[in-house]
Amino acid sequence: MPDDDLRRTILNMLQGVEHPREKAVDVMYLLQRQYGYLCDEALVVGAELLGMTPLELEELATFYDFIYRRPVGKYVIHVCDGVVCWMHHEDDIFRHLCARLGVRPGETTADGLFTVLPTVCIGDCDKAPAMLVNGRFYGPLTPGRVDEILETLRSGDEERVLCP
Amino acid sequence: MSRKPEEASCRLTIDGREIVVAADTPVIDAAERLGIMIPRFCYHPALGAVGACRMCAVKFLDGPVKGLQMSCMVGARDGMVVSTTNPEAVDFRRQVVEWLMANHPHDCPVCDEGGHCLLQDETISGGHALRRYRGPKRTYRDQDLGPFVAHEMNRCIHCYRCARFYQEVAGGRDYGVLSIARRTYFGRYEGGRLESPFAGNIIDLCPTGTLTDKPSRYRARRWDLERGPSVCLHCSLGCGLTVGARYREVMKLEARLNPEVNGHFICDRGRYGFGYESRPDRPRQPRVDGRETIAGAALAALAEGLKPFEAGKVAMVGGTRSNLETLAALLGLCRDQGWRPPVFFRDARLAGAAESAAAALSGDLVASLADVGRADVILVVCADPLAEAPMLALSLRRAARRGAAVLVLDHRPCDLPCEAERLTFAPQELAGCLSRLAHAALRGRKEAAAYLSSLPLPPDLLPETALALDTWGKRLAEARFPLVVCGTDQAEPTLPALAGGLARLLAGSHDQDRRAGFLPLLPGPNGLAAALAGGGDLEALLADIEDGRATALLVVESDLLSRTPEPERWLAALRKLKLLAVCDHLPSPLLEAAHVVLPSRTVFEAGGHFVNQEGRLQRAMPVFSPGLPMGRTLREGHPPRLFMSCAPGSEPRPAADWLKDLAGLLGAGGRAGDWADLAAAFPGLPGLAAGPAPENGRRCLPETAPGADAPSVAKTGSPDVPPDHLQVLLVERTFGTEELSCRAPLLAASAPEPWVDLAAADAGKAGLAHGAWLLVPLPGGPLRARLRVHQDMAPGLLLLPRDPRLLWQRLAGTGVLVELLRLHAITAEEEPAGEDTTLEAEP
Ligand code: SF4
Ligand code: SF4
Ligand code: FES
Ligand code: FES
Repeated sequence: MPDDDLRRTILNMLQGVEHPREKAVDVMYLLQRQYGYLCDEALVVGAELLGMTPLELEELATFYDFIYRRPVGKYVIHVCDGVVCWMHHEDDIFRHLCARLGVRPGETTADGLFTVLPTVCIGDCDKAPAMLVNGRFYGPLTPGRVDEILETLRSGDEERVLCP
Repeated sequence: MSRKPEEASCRLTIDGREIVVAADTPVIDAAERLGIMIPRFCYHPALGAVGACRMCAVKFLDGPVKGLQMSCMVGARDGMVVSTTNPEAVDFRRQVVEWLMANHPHDCPVCDEGGHCLLQDETISGGHALRRYRGPKRTYRDQDLGPFVAHEMNRCIHCYRCARFYQEVAGGRDYGVLSIARRTYFGRYEGGRLESPFAGNIIDLCPTGTLTDKPSRYRARRWDLERGPSVCLHCSLGCGLTVGARYREVMKLEARLNPEVNGHFICDRGRYGFGYESRPDRPRQPRVDGRETIAGAALAALAEGLKPFEAGKVAMVGGTRSNLETLAALLGLCRDQGWRPPVFFRDARLAGAAESAAAALSGDLVASLADVGRADVILVVCADPLAEAPMLALSLRRAARRGAAVLVLDHRPCDLPCEAERLTFAPQELAGCLSRLAHAALRGRKEAAAYLSSLPLPPDLLPETALALDTWGKRLAEARFPLVVCGTDQAEPTLPALAGGLARLLAGSHDQDRRAGFLPLLPGPNGLAAALAGGGDLEALLADIEDGRATALLVVESDLLSRTPEPERWLAALRKLKLLAVCDHLPSPLLEAAHVVLPSRTVFEAGGHFVNQEGRLQRAMPVFSPGLPMGRTLREGHPPRLFMSCAPGSEPRPAADWLKDLAGLLGAGGRAGDWADLAAAFPGLPGLAAGPAPENGRRCLPETAPGADAPSVAKTGSPDVPPDHLQVLLVERTFGTEELSCRAPLLAASAPEPWVDLAAADAGKAGLAHGAWLLVPLPGGPLRARLRVHQDMAPGLLLLPRDPRLLWQRLAGTGVLVELLRLHAITAEEEPAGEDTTLEAEP
């Protein structure tokens, strides 16, 4: 169950909103932040607070890239597979990253540290190829740069930024 | 530049042929009118265009639009020149279908859609014959969507038809579109029965084998079926059906398009209400004194048995589920023999309400279901659409989505799949509330004076309620097309007349090109014809049988023992009869008591005509000949090894034929049984004289209703309910209560557990919680049921569904009151183990 603070925050956010469902994405982010990912319990609670059915909220939850309906690692890496990054050999970066971490896209490393996912254009095409880690932008990337980033993240100095 | 009026027509050329259509008609429809069927998946006339599938591409060669475009998304304009065969368009469509097929599992041989599958058709017509894609296919996990809809997501082509129907048209909130891009999934949050009572329509709509009919799965291909147009008998709306039968058994029903009635859709009660025609306990053999015999002998015995009776002592009970031919034969028999007028309705109140609704109807006022969607202010009084006429709820939703305001005045917690204002009153207050509303609507109108002075006084109302009624009255008066819906199942006898009178006067307030509508709901598919025929009521007949004033009884297609709240009293009375003959196709305890049993055919075997609540004459075709379903005879290893010239179990005859032959034996034959005869039997339906109905039916009402402007209003006394007592009202539900469909095995097996309703105020006083198991002390013994508590329901009532799974017949009478504080919740240990709530007699 979400703690009382979170419940209050959500209820405040919805207060006076004519169509609560327009806040659905914000509510999902809040719940995801508390639970680590949008688990079934969070989804059902969220739907109830929003006056939606679980199906209606699930339609949105599964539409958006940055709502995680399954457990993710401490760091969620979204590699951009937009057109510009693709022209800048994004697939090499993707392959390198996966090889380094020993996972396939969509998987989480055994130590629970990293999840690798693709995403659509993140709007920083001038620094292609690019990726986001917990909402923080990195680019332009080279295989070497990717190794460095992973090292920093592993050493834990990297501050945890959460989307949004 | 001035805007073109909406109805402006335009001329365009498609594949070298010209056609004139209303401007903005989708080009895909214009082509269809020329007989050119442009390939499509997402487009459906009832859902509109979204341009999701890209299958309908055509080339616009000239005119205001140029190039390759989706023909469902482009509205017709003057001067358009369209080619559907242009190589560029053909190639585009070939590619679309190829990519839609990329993930298809190629499992047509085991797919129930095979043979009537749009995806098969478009793949072939699109010229995609050889698979080029060799990669892995995307696969999905299917869900269990309940007893009616089978789910095979791998076959889905993402056309969105199902979700658009389910959410937009039907207002369902538990089925939709999940995920994104090539992972897009159509389903529920988790497996489980689809909640919408209209869910079955997604089977008809899905152009692939993703969503198919579960009960008929693997039982027949389309081309194996005997198919024919029919009419739904599970309420008075008369929605169009297509029956599919095989091996003397109905396999499935599908919606049949009737633009003025149901459109493209039907409700699940209509879709799954069949199966009573193949019940093992269906009477199939004529019987005399318990012994099986042949038709001629049974008829002769009945005719012989009837001869000694004084004409005035012979009574007939008919049903509103009989076809028009049967009702006419029954009326003719009573008239020619001088028997008592036939009885069609269970009690005087219902008979009165149905008659007053029928009297208020006329061609200039009556509204069809399609009209509901065109109205802008709708008053629903004493009607629970989802329970009494489910498709009306969809029409109300359509109206509400187009901006219509809907007000429901009722005592029940009427659920609706759309926005509507609810005002709840006790049933006996409804006429008074309507009166308040009518005064506000018709204030200052001279021609309304007689009507207004005939209205009862409004009850004491809270100021805000009075204000709400006044506001709605004004809204109705100002509406472009006001519509009044009135039920009869729960209404006081005068209420439909008052509602109809209001609609008539609202119509009078409008200019020539404006109109108002009246849409009554009647009991049963031929309730209007029965109401127009008049007659007595069952309660009065019962008293007459008890007193020996009626000593012979013929019951034709009316299930009176399982529909009466006084079964014991009826059974005792039936034992007093000197002669009881029953003609029916439903099994019932009545058959056991009968001296003569004449098995009749169901609508699927006999067909016949039905007149729905708007006076529309419609025809059901006989689809197959009666006989024991092969599915059953084969289960015993082999069809019976008997020498006979007909199929086993084929003795049932149309009820009308039994009655006509009986009339012949009684020496009053000579009725031709033709249209003149039908018209003579129902003077209230002059249109019958014009003969058989066209495909979509034909209205048969008189153009104006004589004397309808001044309804005669009898005073209706409110029952004396002592404080802290509840009036028990028998009500209908979407599933489980209607006479035919509650005998349908599919619905019986899957209808939600029956429940009783209580207003929150009463539940609070008695300390009862929503969902509790309740013990209700009824005169004939206690009744156990789940409780539902409602905020929006009139207090002082306990609503009990006429569901055979509940022991509601323990009411042992009408007008039963129970003491509020004697209702109590039962503890977990006392809770019934399930079958405890069902009638033992029900197989
Ligand atoms: S399930 Fe059928 S109707 Fe729904 S999107 Fe898929 S193919 Fe279309
Ligand atoms: S609304 Fe009535 S007539 Fe129409 S399908 Fe349902 S039960 Fe049958
Ligand atoms: S394409 Fe990668 S950031 Fe725009
Ligand atoms: S039918 Fe036109 S795009 Fe689907």
